[in-house]
Amino acid sequence: MNMAALLRGLRAGRALRGLAGVVAAPAATKPQCSSLSRGFHRATLRLQDDSKSDKPPSSSSTTSHEHYQAHSAEQDTAAAAHEDSTSDPAADQASRLNTSYQDQGGEQGEEYETEEQLQARILTAALEFVPQHGWSMEAIAIGAETLGLSSASTGMFYNGAGDLVLHFLAQCNSQLTDILAEQHNQVQLGQAERKKTADFLRDAVETRLRMLIPYIESWPQAMSILLLPHNIPDSLKHLSTLVDDIWYYAGDRSTDMNWYTKRAALTGIYNTTELVMLQDSSPDFRDTWNFLDNRIQDVVQMATTAKQMQSTGETVVQGFMGAAITLKNLTGLNQRR
Amino acid sequence: MHRAAHRALYDWSNILGPAMIRQCLKCRVPPQLSSRAYSVVPTPCDSEEKEMLDRMLRVDHAGEYGANRIYAGQMAVLGRTRTGPLIQEMWDQEKHHLSKFNEILAENRVRPTALLPLWNIAGFLLGASSALLGKEGAMACTVAVEESISEHYNSQIRALMERDPERYTELLQVIKEFRDDELEHHDTGLEHDAEKIPGYWLIKNAIQLGCKAAIYVSQRV
Repeated sequence: MNMAALLRGLRAGRALRGLAGVVAAPAATKPQCSSLSRGFHRATLRLQDDSKSDKPPSSSSTTSHEHYQAHSAEQDTAAAAHEDSTSDPAADQASRLNTSYQDQGGEQGEEYETEEQLQARILTAALEFVPQHGWSMEAIAIGAETLGLSSASTGMFYNGAGDLVLHFLAQCNSQLTDILAEQHNQVQLGQAERKKTADFLRDAVETRLRMLIPYIESWPQAMSILLLPHNIPDSLKHLSTLVDDIWYYAGDRSTDMNWYTKRAALTGIYNTTELVMLQDSSPDFRDTWNFLDNRIQDVVQMATTAKQMQSTGETVVQGFMGAAITLKNLTGLNQRR
Repeated sequence: MHRAAHRALYDWSNILGPAMIRQCLKCRVPPQLSSRAYSVVPTPCDSEEKEMLDRMLRVDHAGEYGANRIYAGQMAVLGRTRTGPLIQEMWDQEKHHLSKFNEILAENRVRPTALLPLWNIAGFLLGASSALLGKEGAMACTVAVEESISEHYNSQIRALMERDPERYTELLQVIKEFRDDELEHHDTGLEHDAEKIPGYWLIKNAIQLGCKAAIYVSQRV
């Protein structure tokens, strides 16, 4: 009886937060969150054992996902007895799902989060098999099997190989952000020297591109997948967050057009260097890093030139104003009204 | 017994106002999102809130930037007349507002609007052309713009209060302070013969229409 009351209390608390999640992120509700996807999900869960519930998700989730991490631990401690009598009770003991159908909104919101975490784990496992099988549903299927799930769980990935590539992008970007944040902390604590902007950019881009090295053979295939029309918005979003993060940690706090020009320049540098890397056969990609160095020097040079032009322009304008005022004085137009 | 207890708790969660439910009870945010311990803007709980705050801050920044340029235009024409010091004083307050928003934008990694160069030129031209109509013209322009901006700040204050007044306390404070400053400018404009210009009603409405369009566009681009 006490256990049941505890569970009800927990579920009410989850319902509140679930409502918060759903109300705050209406787009999170899966479009076809129908019995079909739930069926898939329950099928994959039945093949799991309890140990899976302790693994944290690896992909860079949005903040709402991390929000749910906090109380998924809660769910683990209290096995969710649930209302739906048609489900297998053994699977429900192992499941972290809130399957209370009394609270559809919260339940849908939570299922979405749990499913995303599951997808993230499958895709991370699948990355191991990419060098062998390329960026394909095959790699995802084998990845799912290594986690003890049926290869039919690839049905969860509506975008197929695109999901895998985008997940990899997100993972690399969040790794880079962690590294940059760590460096930033070190500088703040006084344990490291502050790098010059050009050096910082070069190191950040090099670090990020080095994450491609294990997959460099199949990266052209990944790039072509990213160029598919339905993947372009997502890949652009990842690219723009990457560039924004790098500039933020490089110390850029501009709030005018410089914000745009800096990011555009870095995007150009990153993309061209990536392309050079694909065709580079020198030891440890030395030619690529030289290319990167030169491009960054170009941008720095352009910035310096732009500044010089601006100050020259200002001086010229001042000269003209001086001449104009002199003329006005001579012709007597410059009087106080 | 179980069902009654569950239903009671479920009803209880419905009785709580939307404000409480919206409030993020446990908000874990990636540390890289904010590097300062104290910030005027609360760290957003999810992407929807981040987008809403981004829009608000972007358009506020664009508004202050535009107001800055309008006063610059007015000063360029009327700077050496009797109204010069008055306009300079109002301009200094706008500069203070702009620097505050620059700070907030940089802290919260908000993208500034891409139309800033456009507002730069348009604002300066508006200020200069209204000042060419004389002191009354400049004051009429000030009245129109400040009224638009105060209305805009008021609607933002309403939106934030609706969502969660406690969460946004500092931000609300900042916006309220700026709104009060803008209303003061509006009243100053009226005191200094803004309504005496011929065609006041036409000028005022035309400028306010332009301001509304600028606000709409700056939120999105």
